[in-house]
Amino acid sequence: MPEHAPLVGLLVRFGRELRAAGLAVGSGDVITYAAALAELDPSDLADLYWAGRTTLVTKRDEIAAYDRVFRRFFLGAEDVVPEVLRHSAEAPAGTSQAVLVVPATDPASGEQQGEEALLGLMASDADALRHKAFAACTPAELAAVRRIMARIRLTPPRRRTRRTAPDRAGAALDLRRMVRESMRMHGEPAELYWRARQARLRPLILILDVSGSMADYSRNLLQFAYSAKRAAARVEVFCFGTRLTRVTRELDHRRPDDALAHAARTVFDWEGGTRIGGSLDSFVRQWGRRGLCRGGIVVICSDGLDRGDPAVLAAAMERLSRLSHRIVWMNPHKGTDRAFRPSTLGMMVAAPHVDLLLSGHDLSSLEELAALLPALG
Amino acid sequence: MDRPETVAELTGALHQGGYLADRGLATALFVAIRLHRPVLLEGEVGVGKTEVAKVLAAIFGRRLIRLQCYEGIDTSQALYEWDYARQMLHIRALSERQIADPDAVDKLFGPKFLLERPLLEAVRAGDRAVLLVDEVDRADDEFEAFLLEVLSDFQLSIPEIGTIKAESPPLVILTSNRTRELHDALKRRCLYHWIGYPPADREVEIVLLREPGVDEALTRKVVAAVHRLRELDLAKPPGVAETIDWVRMLSFLGQTDLDPAVAGDTLGAVVKERDDLDLVRESLADITAGA
Repeated sequence: MPEHAPLVGLLVRFGRELRAAGLAVGSGDVITYAAALAELDPSDLADLYWAGRTTLVTKRDEIAAYDRVFRRFFLGAEDVVPEVLRHSAEAPAGTSQAVLVVPATDPASGEQQGEEALLGLMASDADALRHKAFAACTPAELAAVRRIMARIRLTPPRRRTRRTAPDRAGAALDLRRMVRESMRMHGEPAELYWRARQARLRPLILILDVSGSMADYSRNLLQFAYSAKRAAARVEVFCFGTRLTRVTRELDHRRPDDALAHAARTVFDWEGGTRIGGSLDSFVRQWGRRGLCRGGIVVICSDGLDRGDPAVLAAAMERLSRLSHRIVWMNPHKGTDRAFRPSTLGMMVAAPHVDLLLSGHDLSSLEELAALLPALG
Repeated sequence: MDRPETVAELTGALHQGGYLADRGLATALFVAIRLHRPVLLEGEVGVGKTEVAKVLAAIFGRRLIRLQCYEGIDTSQALYEWDYARQMLHIRALSERQIADPDAVDKLFGPKFLLERPLLEAVRAGDRAVLLVDEVDRADDEFEAFLLEVLSDFQLSIPEIGTIKAESPPLVILTSNRTRELHDALKRRCLYHWIGYPPADREVEIVLLREPGVDEALTRKVVAAVHRLRELDLAKPPGVAETIDWVRMLSFLGQTDLDPAVAGDTLGAVVKERDDLDLVRESLADITAGA
């Protein structure tokens, strides 16, 4: 259709603009878009808009970006509001401006040799590091800690699924297999074969406080997200300070440093203030209610210093405990104190709904988490 | 109607069938029908995702084949299953000579013993069917991957019988409540549309279309009240289905007005969580005040 060539060229450029805006638009999608418009009326703006939205957008979150690019591309409206201002306009009044600074987990990254040397040096100190509080570690020691952590195997507990697999000790007959075997034996009744329900790893949901002093501890826990993913569990990661942000997608990047930098760009309030109650409440409403943490292990990392209304936190925690399987709370202030009694109001309110309270302030306590986790089933 | 020529025609036909579709949804469905692509509908609970498939089947005179997804759903529930009990009995009934017959196995795994499940049914029916894959987010990843294979070329292979291909593919509607993010590959294969809550005027129209007998003034009041409920910080905001239920319930009770007392008695139609009920009861007067 040569007479459509200029239109196709336009659509391809539009696709490229969308790609630049972060939408995953493939050539195939643009072809579908063009094919859809061939069935519609490309001179009708509504057709142009909706055909694009239905063929090029695959997530609800992308709709806003699509709208913006569409307006700029087809309507020539330059939106002058930079992204950053837009975000701060949305943030509740009175919240402090965030600083997007992420210290590198790996101080020697880029210098391969230096890194090797450092690794060798640190490995001998591994035991000494184990009980050194993260707060007292130097950046180099922290990097070593993270390398050690990368080797800790974190496996969420298992649960039984509805799916069955052949199993000698199963409870249900494997009729399919029996018919086959029976045919092979010329109709003689064959042996009995059984199937049993399989076990599957429970999903792990990390909700990390990234405000102020908590950021470092949370960053350590983030390492666990990778480790659990390696064990083939479903892992969801959320960060919060003044508000909650989902960073699961950002963690798809292979290198933790890249992922953290990426996450920092997404989490606007990295190291801002803390509103635990509000953040957990929005987690429950936006994600928990839809079943994201159903049957899962929720790990919350926070010091429990909540600036919000304790009633909100109590209600959110109660909801969360009903929506999820187990709740683990990592509070670095607990330290090694076995008889730790929560002193902050936030912790006291949350405590009745927490199944396991750990400190997470040093490597040994993180190992403790890794050891206790599989038994939480 | 066989297939619509314009978006307006499709919108009109859906209206006839009792479904009010906005421009976006109608365009998505129109493109899906014309390009033979599956369409994935996401949206809040109770905004008519499933309903649209039913209405489409009705207006095109096609058969609605529904596959309700759930955790652990596998090929034997979605695709086909052999009738093992009958096969076993059949084997037992065969004589020595019959069983030695090389055709015996073919007969045993022939159409007579095949139980068709929704996906196979849909591929067989081709464009005479609307396939509704409901709540695909409830199924697990393994099933999603399998579904992807079926949706890409509407072709199934059953080892014992061979490959079955739809001559022209059925219209496929997938719905998801976003309890988890679907895999990108599956989304790529589909057209995508997000259904939100309709604006008040439109919701009134929807209710009147679904429940022709009800009082319009009452409907307006109920819709206004529901919109206020959605603004409240509820754990489970009411969908359009709840609005329709509420209006139906009120008119069944012979009510013509929505005052706090009546609303309090019938609240169970729209608010379905205890914490929410407490919250709503506190401000019942505000919610029902004037349309």
